[in-house]
Amino acid sequence: MEKVLFAVLTLVYLELSRRVVTAPMCAYGQAGCHVPSLADLFDRVIQQSSRMHGISSDLHSEFNKYFFLRKNLIGKRKCHTHGILTPDDKENAQRLGREQLTDVILRLLGAWGDPLSQLHWSMSQDHNQDFNHYSSNKSLEISDMVHELRDGVVVMTEKMKLLGVLGNTVGYIAPDSLVPSSAFSFYTQGELNSMDHHDLLYCFRRDSNKVKNYLRILKCTTLPGLDC
Amino acid sequence: MMKKVVEVIPLLLLLFFTTHATGKRYGPPEKPALTRCRSPEKETFTCWWEPGSDGGLPTTHALYYRKESSETVYECPDYHTAGENSCFFNKNDTSIWVNYNITVVATNALGRAFSDPVDIDVVYIVKPNPPEKLMVTVMEDKGWPFLRVSWEPPHKADTRSGWITLIYELRVKLEEENDWEMHLAGQQKMFNIFSLRSGGKYLVEVRCKPDHGFWSEWSSTSYIKVPDYFHREKSVWILITVFSTFIFLIITWLLHMNSHSLKHCILPPVPGPKIKGFDERLLKNGKSDDVFSALVVPNFPRASPSNYEDLLVEYLEVYVPEEQERILEESKDLHDGCLKSEISRSDSDSGRGSCDSHTLLMDKCGEAKEKERQADRESGRILTETQRHQKGWKEEAFTYAHAMVSPDMSGGRVKTWPSVFSPLPQYSSSPLDKQSSLKMAKQHSLSTSSFLTQPGNSPKEALGTSYWDSCLSNKQPHLLQPQTQVHRELQARSDVNISSVEHKRATEYVEVQRVNKEDMVLLQPVVSGCGRMEGMHKGEDYSKREDYSKVKGLDSDNRLLLQREVLEGDRCPCVDQEMTGDSCTSSTVCTTQKPTACIYTAMPVQEEMALAVNGYVDTATMGALPTC
Repeated sequence: MEKVLFAVLTLVYLELSRRVVTAPMCAYGQAGCHVPSLADLFDRVIQQSSRMHGISSDLHSEFNKYFFLRKNLIGKRKCHTHGILTPDDKENAQRLGREQLTDVILRLLGAWGDPLSQLHWSMSQDHNQDFNHYSSNKSLEISDMVHELRDGVVVMTEKMKLLGVLGNTVGYIAPDSLVPSSAFSFYTQGELNSMDHHDLLYCFRRDSNKVKNYLRILKCTTLPGLDC
Repeated sequence: MMKKVVEVIPLLLLLFFTTHATGKRYGPPEKPALTRCRSPEKETFTCWWEPGSDGGLPTTHALYYRKESSETVYECPDYHTAGENSCFFNKNDTSIWVNYNITVVATNALGRAFSDPVDIDVVYIVKPNPPEKLMVTVMEDKGWPFLRVSWEPPHKADTRSGWITLIYELRVKLEEENDWEMHLAGQQKMFNIFSLRSGGKYLVEVRCKPDHGFWSEWSSTSYIKVPDYFHREKSVWILITVFSTFIFLIITWLLHMNSHSLKHCILPPVPGPKIKGFDERLLKNGKSDDVFSALVVPNFPRASPSNYEDLLVEYLEVYVPEEQERILEESKDLHDGCLKSEISRSDSDSGRGSCDSHTLLMDKCGEAKEKERQADRESGRILTETQRHQKGWKEEAFTYAHAMVSPDMSGGRVKTWPSVFSPLPQYSSSPLDKQSSLKMAKQHSLSTSSFLTQPGNSPKEALGTSYWDSCLSNKQPHLLQPQTQVHRELQARSDVNISSVEHKRATEYVEVQRVNKEDMVLLQPVVSGCGRMEGMHKGEDYSKREDYSKVKGLDSDNRLLLQREVLEGDRCPCVDQEMTGDSCTSSTVCTTQKPTACIYTAMPVQEEMALAVNGYVDTATMGALPTC
């Protein structure tokens, strides 16, 4: 009896002494939180985009080797992101300005989230085990990366807005607002086949390169430093 | 249209026939091939093609391209900027992330040929120019030098705006080597190279590459020479090594120089056995019987060793410059107990091998083995005087001496006469005390005389006295003593006849007449020159042969006082054989002569050092006091 009482008292004491405090997220710069600087954000984002592009490039070359396909698009097909106007040379890109450039980046990243998931799903369904085992992992990876990168760019944009570097004209962009939900249907009406896979990969490879390049331009115009 | 065709046909036919006629073939060109397209900065690009055979006719090439998602065919805007068989696309005509479809067409009079189309995206064909302004300097970090390499990106590549991102790689090598050392520098434009060789000349080159593109060519080589530096640590170690080597060499040399003395110090020589009669060689041969039998000493221990004086060992040393002979003698008990011989200096055995000891047999180390069998033999060099009365004496003495040492004599007790007066070889160097020497001689003579007075002594018992005048035959040479020579001299010089021998009186000289066949020594008092041989010493008057003198004493001036005695009667029996009538005659002369018993004063000591050295007192040389 006394033991029970003692145990109860102990537990009560511990309960009172211990306070679980929910720590706030650091995204908005609360005190006591280490907030990454804009330069850090840029670096992270650029690294991520570079990795993403590298993986997509590998996947594409693997696809070409395995299936002996031509590197270019079969026929005259376009990428589903052709509607997004992107500067195709340096002057045009510099002429765009930061806000528009950021906008383009976000659009591009947003346009690819869903198709890549579809691609992953489609590749995993493919009966060609040897190749798909290798490529399905990669497709999953790039699919995840695209989502992460988009979130990262959003955070960075917010940061830039906060710092006054970026104007407020860049509105919050819904993930799929500018891209028709039937983006995937752009490529095929039915199930994706290998050719479709190839086209998708080709388009994504190029777009990831664009993103990487635009991010770099954005960084160097926003934060000119040693890296630029 | 038709007209044109009509016009062309004959031309073609003409050409066709002409080619046929001349034997040369003309034909349409082969299709060209696009070799490569490159963009140096992702803003312009150039394509090169390889023309095929022209078919013998002048052929023109044209490049046509089509952009992605456009059906418009454009021709190459610039054929010349990039050189022969090239097409240069300037900034206006270049679009990035756009797929170009390029084709080259070769055209000649007979036809045209299309190359295979090539699809390119400018982004993926970037090959930048090499980096520029490569600078290499030598810098120092805590005493260690290193190279700082810095460069600039190619001026055309716009890295400032972030349009193009380059990564760099540099390579270093020594001038005399063949292999390069590669270093990936990433995006930085500066790099440090460590671990340099002192005084080496280095070559440095750098190149760059965009993220996804081609490596540029290597930049121009930059040369740098690293100054000589002598690192402290290494220099210290080198000095230490050099010094220790020197010290080691010196120590080795010293050890080598003193190896002998060191050997003595560390490993002292083991002294040989000093057991009388012990022979190491016998041990080596394995004949233990002989070894131990030699150790057995008959009559040992003595019956009455209580009186140490009984174990008198008398030593006599006679110098023989020409040859060494060994005389073994044993001194028996002396009737005159007063006589004490000076026992040879005890020989401390330490530190010397068996060969070194002079108390042991001299020939142990080198001479005949037979001589070593004598157990209680003590080595002594007995030297006789160079001049002998007769050669025969010498020979006999020699043989006698040798015979004495022969194994046949093993039955008898033999003793050698160790040196009394001085260490063996130094006969001449030690100035002897005349008195002591005289005493020695006297003792010796007395002892020998006492010995000899015992008749029937086996001649095998060594007769070592030189005072004896032995009339020996050649058949019995073993009795001859080389010391008789000295005796001879003494006799010759002495004017005093020795009184008749009284066998019981130990103080008188006797003369060994001969040894008969029974090995008995016949004694004869020295009366006359019995047994005198020819060849008197120094040609002295034979008639005036000098006999032994009785020593009276020494005066204060260290002069020996002798006393002559008149011989009574002729006691000199004539000896047969060689002792011819001369001796008798001489003896007769002696007797008749009746020399006065005079005591001659001794001559100064210095004159006859030779004899003194021998240990004998030459009474004659000492002179005699005229006490007549």
